[in-house]
Amino acid sequence: MKQLCELTGSGEDSLVQAIARIDASFREHDHAFNIVEVAGGFRLATDAEFGPVVSQLFEGQKPGRLTRAALETLAVIAYSQPCSRAAIESIRGVNCDSAIRTLMEREMVKISGRMESPGRPLLYSTTQAFLEYFGLADLDHLPRMEEIAGLLGMSSSELEERDLFPGMDHAE
Amino acid sequence: MSAEALPQDMRSCHIQLDSFEGPLDLLLYLIRRDELDICDVPVAHVAGQYLLYIRAERELNLNIASEYLVMAATLTSIKSRSLLPSHQREGEEEADPGAELRRQLIIYRAFREIARELQRSEETWRDIYTSHGERDRWSPGGGDMEPGQASLLDLLRALESLTVQEEDSPVHSVAHREMTITECIEALEKAILPGGRVTFSSVLGLQPTRKLIVSYFVTVLELVRRGWIALRQPFPFAEITLERTVRWTLDS
Repeated sequence: MKQLCELTGSGEDSLVQAIARIDASFREHDHAFNIVEVAGGFRLATDAEFGPVVSQLFEGQKPGRLTRAALETLAVIAYSQPCSRAAIESIRGVNCDSAIRTLMEREMVKISGRMESPGRPLLYSTTQAFLEYFGLADLDHLPRMEEIAGLLGMSSSELEERDLFPGMDHAE
Repeated sequence: MSAEALPQDMRSCHIQLDSFEGPLDLLLYLIRRDELDICDVPVAHVAGQYLLYIRAERELNLNIASEYLVMAATLTSIKSRSLLPSHQREGEEEADPGAELRRQLIIYRAFREIARELQRSEETWRDIYTSHGERDRWSPGGGDMEPGQASLLDLLRALESLTVQEEDSPVHSVAHREMTITECIEALEKAILPGGRVTFSSVLGLQPTRKLIVSYFVTVLELVRRGWIALRQPFPFAEITLERTVRWTLDS
């Protein structure tokens, strides 16, 4: 987006509007493509409707779905990053070694440093590939506090009161 | 309670621990099954149910993951503490032994829901293909990297791919003649016709030696300096295209 602003010399607002217009016209004319905002940029994307057709192009290259263990681990890392393996395990209550390894291999998670505490444990963060895989524009597009509260059938103030996510920014 | 005393239905429709993502997941299942309020879980009741499950599992399979046993111990400890009369002094607030566990359960449930949300996005996005980096997305080691960004995993992969290449190429030694820059220029002159284009890798041919690559690369730089050829590279590490300029013909 920044690059686009520099290239065109236009403001961000007008660019977003322009992109939205192009996208609208794609959709209006029932094109096979539309524009999506993902991983901090915009991309031309095929419509989900044509997924089965396009997937034939990438036969055998597409990795399998993530397991529940991997998804849960990823969820914890996404919200509390950078975080240590011990932090993830204390939330999930189980050993997360293999889940982290899978996520590292799939490049959804990377080592982003070490904690300045005894043993200097490794810290994990999510990657660009994570955003791409789940079609997220950026980390702010993860479900928010209120949405999580809704999923749990609680009010967001109830969640905040309990201070369940000290690392999370509720202000946004 | 002995194993024989297990309710019959418990044993018949007993659910394998394998299908749970750890003890917290099992606890949440029990809480939901008995329609309990997660914020006010009667630990004693849940502890009983939990131990029933663990016992039933042990009947069939002795290998219960240690975390399940730790949770069983924690639950038993909470239950026993809540049964004992408290010795707290007046004015001091009585610590609820189950509070920490409840908190842990709520947090875990939140992340379990987030994980489900992610799974929904995953399902949606599996059918959407974007314009850039589609292949990169799936092939390991793809994507741009900034200095200092390479992880141990990246390095290991790079090493692996190198050794694989080494093995692939047939082993036989051929004495390679070294090429001088002048010879390279002559070869390039034949390879690139006036006005024509050619890729750098096609100039090198199949399985070039390191020396040959270096010679040609230095030659290309020299020719660029003289202004005899123009280079094109659409993005970093992409194929370089060589294009002969008018000056080559004029100068030589």
